[in-house]
Parts: sequence; structure tokens; C-alpha cells
Amino acid sequence: MRITLFIFLLVGSLTSLAQNKYTLNGYVKDGSSGETLIGATVFIAQLNTGVVTNEYGFYSITLTEGSYEVSVSYVGFEGKKETIDLKQNLRKDFELASDAEQLEEVVVTGELEQANAQNIEMSTNKLEITTVTKLPAFLGEADILKSLLLLPGVSTVGEGASGFNVRGGSVGQNLVLLDEAPVYNTSHLFGFFSVFNPDAVKDTKLYKGAVPSRYGGRLASILDVRMKEGNSKKFEATGGVGTVFSRLAIESPIVKDKASFIVAARRSYLDVLAKPFTDIFDDGAALNFYDLTAKANYNIDARNRVFVSGYFGRDRFLFDKDQGFSWGNSTSSLRWNHLFNDKLFANFTGIFSRYDYKLQFGNDNLNLFKWNSNITNLIFKPEFTWFINQSNEIHFGGEFINYSFEPANAVGITNGAAVDISIPRKYNQEGSLFAGNTQKVTDKLTLDYGLRLSRFRYYGLGESFIFRDTIPGVRKRVQSITQYGEGETIQAYTNLQPRAAVKFQLSPTNSIKASYNRMVQYLHLISNTTASNPLDVWTPSTNNIKPELADQYTVGWFADLNASRSWEVSVETYYRRTSNQVDYIDGADLLINEYLEGDLLSGRGRAYGLELYLQKKTGKFNGWASYTLGKTELQTEGINQGEWYPTRFDQRHNFKVSGFYDLPRRWSVSANFIYSSGTPVTFPTSRFVMQNILIPYSYNDARNNVRLPAYHRLDLSFRLDGKKLRRGKERKNTDYWVFGVYNLYGRKNPFSIYFSQKDERTPFGLVPDAQATQLAIVGTVIPSISYNFKF
Amino acid sequence: MKNFHYVTRSIFYSAVFGGLIYICMGCETIIDPKLAPAEPVLAVDAWLNNDAVEQTIRLTRTQSYFDSAPLQGVAGATVTVKNVTSGASYSFKESGMAGEYTWTPSAPKESLGKVGDVFRLELKSGGEEYKAESRIGRVPAIDSISFIHQPPSGIIPESYVAEFFAIDPKGKADTYWIKAWKNDTLLLRPSEINLAFDAGFSDGSNLDGVTFITPIRRAITPFVTDEDGNFVSPYNPGDSVYVEIHSISLQAFNFLTEVTVQTDRPGGFQELFAAPVSNVGTNLVSVKSGGKPVVGFFNVSAISRLGRRFKKNN
Repeated sequence: MRITLFIFLLVGSLTSLAQNKYTLNGYVKDGSSGETLIGATVFIAQLNTGVVTNEYGFYSITLTEGSYEVSVSYVGFEGKKETIDLKQNLRKDFELASDAEQLEEVVVTGELEQANAQNIEMSTNKLEITTVTKLPAFLGEADILKSLLLLPGVSTVGEGASGFNVRGGSVGQNLVLLDEAPVYNTSHLFGFFSVFNPDAVKDTKLYKGAVPSRYGGRLASILDVRMKEGNSKKFEATGGVGTVFSRLAIESPIVKDKASFIVAARRSYLDVLAKPFTDIFDDGAALNFYDLTAKANYNIDARNRVFVSGYFGRDRFLFDKDQGFSWGNSTSSLRWNHLFNDKLFANFTGIFSRYDYKLQFGNDNLNLFKWNSNITNLIFKPEFTWFINQSNEIHFGGEFINYSFEPANAVGITNGAAVDISIPRKYNQEGSLFAGNTQKVTDKLTLDYGLRLSRFRYYGLGESFIFRDTIPGVRKRVQSITQYGEGETIQAYTNLQPRAAVKFQLSPTNSIKASYNRMVQYLHLISNTTASNPLDVWTPSTNNIKPELADQYTVGWFADLNASRSWEVSVETYYRRTSNQVDYIDGADLLINEYLEGDLLSGRGRAYGLELYLQKKTGKFNGWASYTLGKTELQTEGINQGEWYPTRFDQRHNFKVSGFYDLPRRWSVSANFIYSSGTPVTFPTSRFVMQNILIPYSYNDARNNVRLPAYHRLDLSFRLDGKKLRRGKERKNTDYWVFGVYNLYGRKNPFSIYFSQKDERTPFGLVPDAQATQLAIVGTVIPSISYNFKF
Repeated sequence: MKNFHYVTRSIFYSAVFGGLIYICMGCETIIDPKLAPAEPVLAVDAWLNNDAVEQTIRLTRTQSYFDSAPLQGVAGATVTVKNVTSGASYSFKESGMAGEYTWTPSAPKESLGKVGDVFRLELKSGGEEYKAESRIGRVPAIDSISFIHQPPSGIIPESYVAEFFAIDPKGKADTYWIKAWKNDTLLLRPSEINLAFDAGFSDGSNLDGVTFITPIRRAITPFVTDEDGNFVSPYNPGDSVYVEIHSISLQAFNFLTEVTVQTDRPGGFQELFAAPVSNVGTNLVSVKSGGKPVVGFFNVSAISRLGRRFKKNN
């Protein structure tokens, strides 16, 4: 039924092709650096229509022959108006000048022709990198992922926890893409910092719902992070010295306006500073994390452009040269943009992505334990955008992924005897085809509809397990094992994922939008701890682990409040149902466990909520406020007596404000305030003593039955820009200081409450005492200072 | 789970060395939360062995989590342990202490049974009837104990750790609880529960028929700190260590693994990676359907043992 509708709409849109029409296309760029601008608006006032540049800064619009006033605008840049005589197909690149007076502001100059209410997109948030660097940050380190937490519908279980939760989804239900390469662990130092170097990032977009058909693979969200291409006009170095990281980024043209590169590196440097004062690093011990981000591009001609980009990052915690723990991601993407004709834009991407960790204990050859684990992907993604006419823009393409999972390549040597405790690799393929159309049906009605068809295959070499049924919640034992030869299919799944969105324009500044989408997730992040940790393994769907499915429905009202559209407001509601959610038996053994599947349970989930968002985009004072009312629950046989229970990150109220204000004399100030209801924890009711061990007991066997006290925090940050002039002349370089305070009033925000017996040694036969401890991860005021420069 | 604890703890200590991330120093507050009221439930502590000595089963009731009143014994129960293999039946009699039920060998060498024997606990109390089964597993001899010198490293001063050596017999799924006494004090903090699945931490580790792995061998060493919280050498000349390996059933191993997860809460940064709180299981089942819930465990062990005193010229 849906397919028929889709084809009907598609064919309908094609028949509207007419004659005497010409195409205007090209790129919109930042005039000072040559960086293409994603999501810039190209607007034709006479026709009250416009287009938005795609991920590569490309636009294409087809109009009847004539003279048009074209205005181009982008946040933080001076708008441009030009009269264009369209008598033939025309290639026209626009370069916008950044608003020099307010270079680092979150401002929009000129009118935003395509604003909040005009766009069909809903449930998405875009985060400008200039905004990220202005927000007060933990230890003064600007962080893209932590900034996301200030958006509606995005939350975290607490400070120090890695990743983020979107609309009640778990951390492992977010697909994080860096230049289209999946990043499997987004954290440095467990979860205090994210792997993205803000100096190298151009644009960040979060899809919480209404996900276009070209994305898939996770239930809750897609975070699309795009890297800068590198300044194609002039050499530029940016950097800074912060509390945790030292950073340096170099960008430069290789051939002016044709080819450029950027290399950006960060490293934590506390160990470097500490080295002269301690001997703990002398025997090879290390405690640091670093990342390197690099990208180069080359404009071959007007129709072809290639990009190569890579990321390499690592966290190292070594006690000495042989022992310790390290983990990191490496990704690389190779992309080719090709314009088949004025209306058909194509991009071909080849991706390599790998996440691995290494662990070693014991430094003599008689006794040691060594464990390596990785997940490796090869991806090919051809993608086409066909700008058919003013009313239709079709996206289609495919995505082909090859996965290899190595849960454990491990050896234990005990007293000279070596035992290989490795778990065999798992091999998988995921192939997807997608197509979607954005169709302006009338002036008031716009549709976006698409389909994604995906097939996932688990294949040999390998073995599959059949488990004996037991009482739900109890470890399942292997009943039989089947061997599969190389390339032989062990299990395959095929899923059709419809996506649809509709926008109804009530007035030029007012619209109502709704969407439905189905998402499928074939990979599962296996983690039963409060926060995900670097050792957590990703595991594919198998004959025992079914793909996770989600259906999400959203409805929202979007408005631009005044004529200049500097205020925007939105109200959205969402409802998401999930099935085959992975859950865990009590006491599950998740690491180096060949029979892991026997410890997993399958449940269903539901999440729903309301998101309010108000943003002021321009002026000396700007910023936003967001409020989310949400609920997220799971139901799994064998947990909480089979009843629905709230997830560990369920938050009823989540209120956030971020504000920026320009003070006189080169100073500016920014602040965040966050208030969220406490997340749930489990309290026991009773205790018993067995063999002198005090064991908690819950009479109702409840999960997540009590709420932590609310979380709230105020952060403040002052920025002092360096003088623009030196001895009457304009300085070539710019610099600024940031003085920040995180958790200004030093609140000990509870992360958890845990129950334990007191630490004293209790003589055998006497009963140990019990206690409850409330823990804050960051329980104090954290000041920071950083110096940043650009020349 | 256990290997995970070991790993996170190692990471935790290394992180403390760096002093980089332990920003939550002093962020723990002891609180006194209100807990939901709950009915008391029968708690069975039945960890027996096949030594020819008095065997004790303790019956108590669960009490409110913060109730520090002495445990209330459950009197008037009928407690019988049957050796299903040999057919012998042992009646546990109420001793002087309420809730304590004991059996004393009538002959000098009499014990409950031998390795391989299967036992059934039968329990009648307050109109309820429960049973549980356990089989005595084999247990390897402890070959030796050493005190190993560790040069100072970071915040750990020069120190001695104790280590025992024993080889897990060939054949999968031997499970053990290794108990250690330092100077006659049993090391029984939740963090000191030392379990082994064959020679490793868990089933998935696949370490069968080899010497117990280092972290298990050395877990007979406590972490010792002085009054200021600085680490000091856990063993010094003059100290003694005494080790017992108890064979436990696979069910008991899984049970104690859960106990470790639920009770070993070192707090601090490790709370980030805490597993969800849940009830530990039990191997006691109600004979009647719809019987009242019960907690606790029944296990019969064989024990191997060795002790050693740390002499100056060691």
C-alpha cells in the first residue's frame, strides 16, 4: 500500500515537468575561508520559493526563463542579493562574507528567508560550531556532544557518562557519523570529553525523528558531524591551551580556491606537566588521550570534487610499558562529488571505520592476560540528489556495509601455561537501498516521503547456538551448536522502513508538521552498567538476537515570532514504540563470554514526550530555552516481575537555558542553566546476612523504583577578545581568553545512591552495618581558563 | 562480571595515580533515605562442608535494610540434610542460639559425605516447606604459598603480596570459593569474595586444567591502608596467611557472582559502571506451590587448605 502511494506520488511529480525552464545551481561558500556552507538558503523572492544547500554546500533550483532577485543567506553571515537573468542553465557560486563585527556571534544578519516554520524538517537540531565554542564547558573544553545536552529531547544519565540519550533512547541507539563514518565510541576519558575536535568540525546536525530515508541503522537518533574542508583562501592556524587539552589546527590552500587541507590535533597534557615532578611515568606508564583529524579536498573541475578525511584518536592508561588499557577509533572517508548534469548531484563515499581496545595485565611471560577487541567496517555509499523541479527533490541511493566483530582475541598465561580464550570473529553484511522525495504539493502543503529497504546477513565462518528455554531472567544454557562454512548464511533479516513527513503552512511564519518513521537497528551495544564504558562490546543480530525495531510518530507546531524571524518557537510531541530491545539477566557475564546470547533478554520499550523550544537568534542578547516532558520505559519478562519499568535515564522534566550577552569593551558572557528531574535508581527494602555478608533484598523485586533528587547546575563563562588593533594597525591574528566556571554554586548533583555494608572488617558472627551513600561525580565548583588563538 | 570489576578497579587506581579525573573527591554523602516497608522473609544460611566437624545452618528473617538490631533467629524449624547418594539422613538440631541448627559427628571421622555425593536440604518452618540440592565438587590441593616482593610504584609503597598456587583439575565447570585469613582474620569484605570458574573468572574464560590465574592467586591479599588512607604493605614479616579452597556448585558460583555484583560497591567513579541493583537468586524452592518467598543458599563443599607464616628471610 505504502509502495503504491510512493510510486504514485513520484510519477505524479515527474509529469509536472515543463518546458522553457532553466536550472540555476552552484555552491554557497564562506568568502573568507572558502568552506562550503551546509544549509544555506537560496531564495527567490518573486516566487516565494527557495532551496537549501546540501551537505556539500550545493544547491540547484529550476525556474522558468526570466530575471530573478536571488538572495542567499546563512546564519552568522551577511546576506547577499543578486539579480540574475536566467536564459540558460547557469552555474553560480555565492561567497558570503562573515559578519566581521560579530564574527563569533550566534547571529543571523539579514532576513532568514527559510526559517523554522518554512522548512519541512522537524525533530532536528543544528548546532553551529561557533555556538559550541561559546557555551560554558566542563573544564573549559568546548565539546560538541556535551553541547547537544542543552537541546530539547537530549539528556544524559549524569556527568561523566559517555554518549547521550535522545527521546528516551539508550546511548547505543544513536548513530554518530563523522564525515559519514560511524564512530562507535564517542568518548575520551570514559565520558568526560567527546572525540570531536571543535577546531575541525564545520557542522553538526541531530535527527531525533522524521529521519530521512538515507539514514538508518539506529533507533533513537542520527548525529551527523561534518568536518571542515580546510581554508582554500589562505593559511590559517587555530589553537589553544586549555585546562585539559592543547590544540592546534592548521589549514591551508594547496591550490588556491581549488584544493585545501586541514590537520587538527589535540592532546591532554597533564602527564607532560607532571613528568618533572613524579617518577610514575618513568617505566612507561601513560595517562593521556589524543586525537588527530585531517581532511583534504580537491576541486577537479566544476563537476567533480574529491575529499579524503580521517580521524584517529586514542586514550591510553598504562601502568607501565606492558600493562594497561587503551582504546580508540580510527575512521577514514573517501568521497567523490559528481554533477551528472545540472540537476543530478551525486556523491560516492567509501568508508573505513574501526573501534578497538587493548588490555594487558601481568608483565612477566609466565603470567599475563592480554585482550584485544575490535569492530571494523567497510562501507560504500552511493547517493544521488535529483533536483527535478521547484516542487520535487528526490534522494536515492544505497549503503553497503561489511562488518567484522572481534569480541575477544585474548590469551591468558597462568604459571607458564598459555590458554587461548579468544571468541571467534563474527561477520555481517548490511545492504540498504533508499529513495525519498521532498514534494511541495501546494504553497501550503509539503510532503517528504521515502522508503528504506535493508537486509542484514550474519554469515560464516562461524557457529550458531540454540539455547534451552528456561525461566525468563535465568541464564540460558546451550542446547546445540551448528557450524557454518565460509560465506554461508547463518541468519538474515530484511526490513522495510517507511519514512514520511508533512508540513502544512498556516501562515508564512506558522506551520504544523507531522512525521512517522520506522527505524531498524542490527547492531547492539552490550552494556548493562549505568554509563557505557569503553569495554562494552557491540554485537550483531544473530539467530538469537533479533534486530531492534522502532516506530516513531511526531507532531509539532513551528513558528517565527516576529517579522525579522529572529525569534523562533516550536512545540513537538513524540511517541516511540520499540521492540526486541536488548536487556540482561541479573548477574549477566557480558565480557569474553562465548555464550553471551544466553545472558541476554529481549524486551519492548515505549517513550513519549513533549518538547518546547524557544530561541532568540539575533541581537546583543541571544540564546535559547528548552523544556522536555518525557517518559521512557521498558518491559522485559524476567525483570521487575514482567511489569513496565522506567529506564535508568528516564527524566520527567528537563529544562535548559543557554544565553549569550555582549558586554562592553571586548567582553562577552555566556551562561547555561540546567534543571532535570532525578533519574531512577533501585532501592532495596530489606537485607539478610549470609556467611557474614550483608545482602540487600527488595521484597517486590523492583527495578528503578525510586527517584534521585533533581539535578540542577549553573555554568558561567566570560570571554575576553584580544585587541583588534595594535599600535593603531589592525592585528593579523586574533586571540581570546575564556574564563569559565562549571557548576557555579557547587551543587553536589547526585549521580547515584548505592547501598553497601560499611567498610570496617566485621568479625565473623557479628552483623555488618549497612549504609546508603549518595554520590556526585562532579560535586564542586570547577573553574577553568583557556587561551585561544588564530593567525 | 568479576573480570570487569578487576579491570575497572585497575583503571580506577591508575587514574588516581594520574590524579587527573578524581574530581569527585569528597562527593560522597552518607544519607538516610526512607525505604518502603516490607514483610520479613525467611533467610537460610546453609553453607556446609564434608569436614568431620560440627555443621551449622542459620535461619533468620530479612529485616529492614537499615535495621541494625541483632538478627532474629527462626526457632522451631525442622532441618534435615539428606545424602541422596548414600541414603544417609542428618538431622540438624536447634542449638542454644535461636535460629542455629547444628549437626555434630557422632564418630571422630564421620562427615556428611564425600566428593561427588548429592545432598538435599529439607526445611519446614511456620507451615512452609522448602528444599534445595547441592553436590560436593572436587577441589585441588594448594601446592604452595609465596610472599612476593613488589617494588614501590606510584602511590603503592614497597610491599609484599601473598599468592597461592594450585592447579584446577582437567574437566570443565569446576567452581570454587577461595577464602583467606590474614593473621586469623577471615577476609570477607564484599570486594574480597574470591571466586573461580575452573582456573579463571567465568565460564567464558575457558581456562580449564591450568594454574589459577594471577588475580585469583593474589586475591588472598587484602588492600591495607593506614589511618590517613595511604596504602601500606599488606603482608610483613611475622604475618601469616591461611587459605582454603571450597568447591561450590555451579549454582552457588552464579549466586555468589551476583552477591559480588550487588554488594561490592566501592563507590566513586566506579558508580558510572555499576550494574543494576537486583535481588540475588536462591536455590531453595518452596515445595508447595504459592509458598512464601525465601532467600539464602544451600551448598556443601569439600575443602583443601594450606597456611604459611611470613618469615624475615622469606
